[in-house]
This record gives sequence, structure tokens and C-alpha cells, in this order.
Amino acid sequence: MNKLKTTLSDDQLSALEAHLAGTLKPVTPPMEIVQRLRNRIHFPERQVIVLRLRDWQRMFLVFGGVMSGMLVMITVARAFFYLMRRHM
Amino acid sequence: MLDKEFNEEDVLTRAAQGDRDAFGLLYERYLDRIFNYVYYRTGNLHDAEDLTARVFQRAMNHIKNYTDRGVPFSAWLYRIAHNLVANWHRDRSRRQEIPINDVPVLPSKGDHPERNLVRSQEESTLLKLIRRLPPERQNLLILKFVENMSNAEIGKIMGRSEGAVKSLYHRTLLSLRDQIGDQHISLDNE
Repeated sequence: MNKLKTTLSDDQLSALEAHLAGTLKPVTPPMEIVQRLRNRIHFPERQVIVLRLRDWQRMFLVFGGVMSGMLVMITVARAFFYLMRRHM
Repeated sequence: MLDKEFNEEDVLTRAAQGDRDAFGLLYERYLDRIFNYVYYRTGNLHDAEDLTARVFQRAMNHIKNYTDRGVPFSAWLYRIAHNLVANWHRDRSRRQEIPINDVPVLPSKGDHPERNLVRSQEESTLLKLIRRLPPERQNLLILKFVENMSNAEIGKIMGRSEGAVKSLYHRTLLSLRDQIGDQHISLDNE
């Protein structure tokens, strides 16, 4: 009867691990499956999640933009009236 | 971009409070890993999709029960996946369906997405041998090679010590080597 060896040589170990690494490769789920799963569990799109999370950043930018715009308009208006008064 | 904002503890707390968007983030983060695990355990694309959906549905329904007692969320998810896959195998054996040994080809992460690589004969033979191993040994190989986890991480998922995982890994390789002896797979170093 053949007695099975209970040890692995270094060569066997590395060859076996190389075979396993070549066989058990991470796979990317097809996009249609990802989409179907998302619909099935009723999750919003990834982009929507990111957008929702960034709502406060967007509000901050809008607020900053409006304030900056108002400052520019006030400065231009003041300069305009100043120049007008000097010419009169 | 998603990762920069991702604070798992915070997201988990929000998800446990019923925030669907927070759970959506967890879904995005773990979908690939769970899908890979289930895919290799079932060898069937259709069932992998179905079981992956059920893993996340079950996780969503029970996330309130998840408490971090040194077991990471990923380990909790893998345990759900493991239980569902075990039920799936039990149901199949009851129905006595013909086992599917051929794992369908999916492009792996390094492959060109447009190109489906045909697995070599050796790879499909090895896959068949892996799928004949006891479930915990299959888990170990999937977590080690597909997920690139360390023995310590695998131990947390399997509820074993790092040493026990190392020992199980060695026994698994021995068993595979002995089975490979009967197949046309070369273990000579090229």
C-alpha cells in the first residue's frame, strides 16, 4: 500500500500555490449583475450616494459663490458711483 | 473617492439606525468580495447572483444585531454568506441535482474586460478538485487566494486561531497534492 507523504517539499509548495493563485483569481461581477442586485435590494446608484453625502459641500460652495458674487457687485457699484460723483 | 470618505464605524452606526444610503456604501464596498466568495463556492453565476443578493438583504435586516466584538463587519458578512451557501448546498443535495463542476468563465480583475479568457485544462481540473474539498477548506483557499487575506484575517472569519488556519492550510495543500497526483497537473517547477 502506498504511504502518503505528510510533508510538502518547498518546490511542491510553491508550485501548488502558483497553480492555486492562477486558478482562484478575483473576478469582477458583470455590470448587469451589479445593476440587477442594486435594483433588487433597492439601493440608489453609487453616484447618487456620493452626491447625497456631498450635499453639504455643494451648499457650502453655492453659499460661498453667492456671497463672493454679491461682494464683487457691491464693489463694482461703489466704484461706479465714486467715478460718477467725481465727473459731476 | 468613496474610500476617502469612508469611516466604517460611522457608516455602520448609521446603517444600524436604518440609513439606507449608509448601507448602500457598505454594499458598494463589499459587493465584489462577497460575490467572488459565493461565485467560487457555488460555481454558478446565476446562484452566485441570487445568493449575493440574499447575503446583503439578510445583512440589512439584521445589521442592528451586529456588534463589533473584535469581529470585523467583513467577517460577519462572510459568515452570512457561508451559512447561505451551506444551505444552498444542502438543498441541492436533497434535490439530488447533478453537480455543476465547471465554474463559468468570468474575466478576472487583471484581464481585459472585453476578453473572456478560456481557463486552461489544468485550471478547470484544479477547480473541480477544490470544489470536492470540505467546505471549510474551500473557504480557506478562497479567502487566501481570491481575497488575499492573511491567516489572522481568515481566522477571524472562520472563528479559528491563526495557528489553526495555518495548520488547516497545510493539510489542505497536502490533500490537494495527493489528489492532483491522479490528474494531469504538473507540480514540477517550470
